[in-house]
Amino acid sequence: MRSAVREIEHCVRESSDGSFSRRALIGAGALGALASVPLAGRMFRLGDALGSPSKAQDVKILQLVLRVEYTQVAFYSQALAHGALKGELRDFARTALAHERQHLTAIRNALGAKAGAKPTFDFGARIRSPKAFMRAAIDLEDTAVAGYNGQAANLTKGTLAVAAEIVSVEARHAAWVRAIAGEVAAPDAVDQPMTAQQAASGLHALGVSS
Amino acid sequence: MSTGSFDRFLTGVDRDGALAETRARAETTTRRGLLGWTLAGAGTLVLARTADARAAGLSASDVDILNYALVLEYLQASFYTEAERSGALTGKTAEAARVVGATERAHVKAFLDLLKSQAVKRPTFDFQGTTEQQQPFLKTAVALEDLAVAAYKGQAPKLKSNAVLAAAVGIHSVEARHAAWMRALFGVTPAVNAFDKPASRSSINRVVVSTHFIVSKPHMKARKKPSFTG
Repeated sequence: MRSAVREIEHCVRESSDGSFSRRALIGAGALGALASVPLAGRMFRLGDALGSPSKAQDVKILQLVLRVEYTQVAFYSQALAHGALKGELRDFARTALAHERQHLTAIRNALGAKAGAKPTFDFGARIRSPKAFMRAAIDLEDTAVAGYNGQAANLTKGTLAVAAEIVSVEARHAAWVRAIAGEVAAPDAVDQPMTAQQAASGLHALGVSS
Repeated sequence: MSTGSFDRFLTGVDRDGALAETRARAETTTRRGLLGWTLAGAGTLVLARTADARAAGLSASDVDILNYALVLEYLQASFYTEAERSGALTGKTAEAARVVGATERAHVKAFLDLLKSQAVKRPTFDFQGTTEQQQPFLKTAVALEDLAVAAYKGQAPKLKSNAVLAAAVGIHSVEARHAAWMRALFGVTPAVNAFDKPASRSSINRVVVSTHFIVSKPHMKARKKPSFTG
């Protein structure tokens, strides 16, 4: 699962114009080298280069965001309903679900009658095994962060302000579940963005279809 | 310093009271925090170097916001570096401080690369003993990271250059990861609310000034040995 997302990230790096990431340079495990790796301004990338921000473009972007939030709500609620999560992991899932429900409501209200249909989900073992759940939660939250960040320049400033209130909460979720999994909770110095297509592929890899 | 709006802000950002405690401790000293000076200085620099800014392709307002962010990154980088050097941290906290510190130093480097000659100089810091014990360190780290998240969020929609916006959003979410990590280590909920609220520059400035972590005007030395105060 993770490898699918990493593959996407890898392709992004290969195709990008001279941009690079710290992780691409030193590998995920070599944290000790972090301090010595130069982090140049040219590593900062945006996601899609769409047209100038407009209300109509906001609506298009919010449809993707809506799919992300639908997926998160379904993922956490199905995992909790299955009952395999215990202790801190269950606390995490409950808290994240409550947040994602509020995000979903906010995005759905913003779209009103234009809101797209709820996708269908087949999360498989990701909602049954705590280990697979943690891996999928990390991928899903990272995809949400990268998806939001990738649209920053395409949104009107008002919508960007709202997206910014949501994206950092998704980032907190990602760090929280990584900490529970015993992983480095913030492995990168800069979060790399995804294009809308990459984010949609990331969701698909997690068992989401239209 | 203790105005109503400040306290309301502090309640919103500093849920665990670390900055409030630090402020209470710092107010017994005669030192005066100089972040206000530093940030006012950034504005002056912008005026003096408008030609430089144009040459670098950055608007004066973007340069101003970048320098504001740079001061916050200097603050964080110095905090973690000093904590690491103090040898007071152990276990998972020591490991997290090492990773987060390296990241904050990378952020400083990135902003220096973006700003070049227009960058404000590193101020001198005194972390009021918070880098010398694990629990005060964690409490302060939580407060500083939550503060950084709110600060970036407040400025991102004001940025004009998409290149600078890319830097701001890519760093903003990393600061949120740090905040959650430090909160998990401190034993408090890593994600409190469904929506993280932004904070204005004046609110952030008031909080940082109140900590008295910034004790002298910026100087030219790139590195300074941490001075322990505890």
